[in-house]
Amino acid sequence: MKRALANPLARWGFAIIVTILVLAIFAPLLVPYDPDAIDVKAILLAPSSSHWMGTDGLGRDVFSRMLYGARISLLVGFVAVGIATAIGVILGAISGFYRGGVDSFIMRLVDIMLSIPTFFLILAVIAFLTPSIWNIMVVIGLTSWMGVTRLVRAEFLSLREREFLLAAQTLGAGDMRLIFRHLLPNSLGPVIVSFVLGVASAVLVESGLSFLGLGVQPPQASWGNILTDGKEYIQFAWWLSLFPGMAILLTVLGYNLLGEGLRDALDPRTRK
Amino acid sequence: MTQYLMKRLLWMVPMLIGISLISFLIMHLAPGDITTTEAGFNPKASEESRQKLRELYHLDEPLLVQYGLWLKRMGTLDFGTSFASHQRPVFWQKQDAEGNVTPGMIQEALPITLMINILSLLLIIAVALPLGIIASLHQNGPPDRAITVFVFVGFAVPGFWLALIMMYWLGVVNNWLPISGLRSLDHEHMGALAQIWDIVRHLAIPVFISALGGLAGISLFVRNGMLEVLHQDYITTARAKGLPENTVIYRHALRNALLPLITLLGLSIPGLIGGSVIAESLFAIPGMGKLFYDAVLMRDFPVIMGILTIGAALTLLGNMLADLAYAWADPRVRRGIR
Repeated sequence: MKRALANPLARWGFAIIVTILVLAIFAPLLVPYDPDAIDVKAILLAPSSSHWMGTDGLGRDVFSRMLYGARISLLVGFVAVGIATAIGVILGAISGFYRGGVDSFIMRLVDIMLSIPTFFLILAVIAFLTPSIWNIMVVIGLTSWMGVTRLVRAEFLSLREREFLLAAQTLGAGDMRLIFRHLLPNSLGPVIVSFVLGVASAVLVESGLSFLGLGVQPPQASWGNILTDGKEYIQFAWWLSLFPGMAILLTVLGYNLLGEGLRDALDPRTRK
Repeated sequence: MTQYLMKRLLWMVPMLIGISLISFLIMHLAPGDITTTEAGFNPKASEESRQKLRELYHLDEPLLVQYGLWLKRMGTLDFGTSFASHQRPVFWQKQDAEGNVTPGMIQEALPITLMINILSLLLIIAVALPLGIIASLHQNGPPDRAITVFVFVGFAVPGFWLALIMMYWLGVVNNWLPISGLRSLDHEHMGALAQIWDIVRHLAIPVFISALGGLAGISLFVRNGMLEVLHQDYITTARAKGLPENTVIYRHALRNALLPLITLLGLSIPGLIGGSVIAESLFAIPGMGKLFYDAVLMRDFPVIMGILTIGAALTLLGNMLADLAYAWADPRVRRGIR
């Protein structure tokens, strides 16, 4: 972590992430207005000292909605990637540790899942369920575990050949002990990198879905569905498009910068 | 080479079966019966159309039998007809008793999406290659830094947001480019060249948007690949024996750095096809993405299942082409050394 933050880009990423996290966590204390309060006397007001980011078509305060939207985006990002990482670690560990038939089965499953266009897969699942924030987290999680699986498997395959593992085996350690005490802790680095990068892409997918009206449903605020309003009023209210777009951009940028910084720090080849 | 090709072709069979199984399982994710209103099926749908749905997927049979029958229909490329009032065939045209031909929905949409994707791929290659090469030749210099910033922003910018801004700026404020559809209203009355130009103008923003993510990724990939190759001994050898720098870079380094790019382009196909949903629905381009989006909104199950399966099959085909291209470019692969 320290080494990662020596990288200026990663430091920027970290700063962006922490700022947005703090804003999201303390949103209820920070918002000047109720994010869902409709005010017919304040429709589509431009940004001013009373409404920092203006108001939307129903007179709701955009700044308040943006902060609540941050909560949703980050919640979806973390839970979805958490699900994906959990599946990926378990399947990758089984695959890399036991090898043989189980390994080929899991790897073929990965190949098949990778060949279905992910966005189609997500939309198809949502078509059969109803769009809600929980369904979206689960769906994004269930359709993005393949990369982690391959990663953990590759780590396990190479760690398995190392002498410390032979030593542990000689001392009589069981499979579970080998996996959880010796192999997993040693392959944690790449998993953390892929988690951080995964949050970035999950935030993008969630905002895209919400923008299309198939993600987080109004009146619940999300950056994606504020942008849907932005599209509606683009000729009269630039602030409805600008702020959520910038928020998504900054968030994704932050996670990508931190992820790449961590990757460089963990990779002995790029270490100086 | 023939043996390699056969192996790859045979490999597609279990993959296709796996894909069909996953598509089939998705359909059964819906709570209860997919024909009930709880599943979100259009409440306006008549009892008759529900009955048709039940018959189409043999919903009264056991699950395994349903899958078998569905697979059999897939085998003959029969994806049924749309639930929409026009009841068009999902995949390919059908002729009725009077000889009237109804064109299939995917049949019409697919060429449009393929065209956009091929144009995006060409744009990606045309821009990302030079960018990556320039960055690698000036490692950590100003051009490299600028390109790195571009790459990170390109990754982070939500495509639909940029599309919205470009639509507004280029289409509404300045009226330079059309922002909806594929053709102008007077397209029929244009000359051949004007017709092509008309389509180019309509596709400019969508193609740019769908290429953006790939552009960033591939620039970075070319840069890192070049850097790796440039540090190898044979490059030093080439320079030591006095070859001109251009020959070293373009004949010796680039050709090896490009090899993994073939695979990467193959792998980016599902992303491009999937990404077409947002671009196409935003710009009202009647391709696979818009078709899929509309089908999802209407819960038009035969269309959803059809596109899911065809999209996956296309991806497989794309990956296979990439593997073949790789084998063609790298003799070690086709001789089975790697």
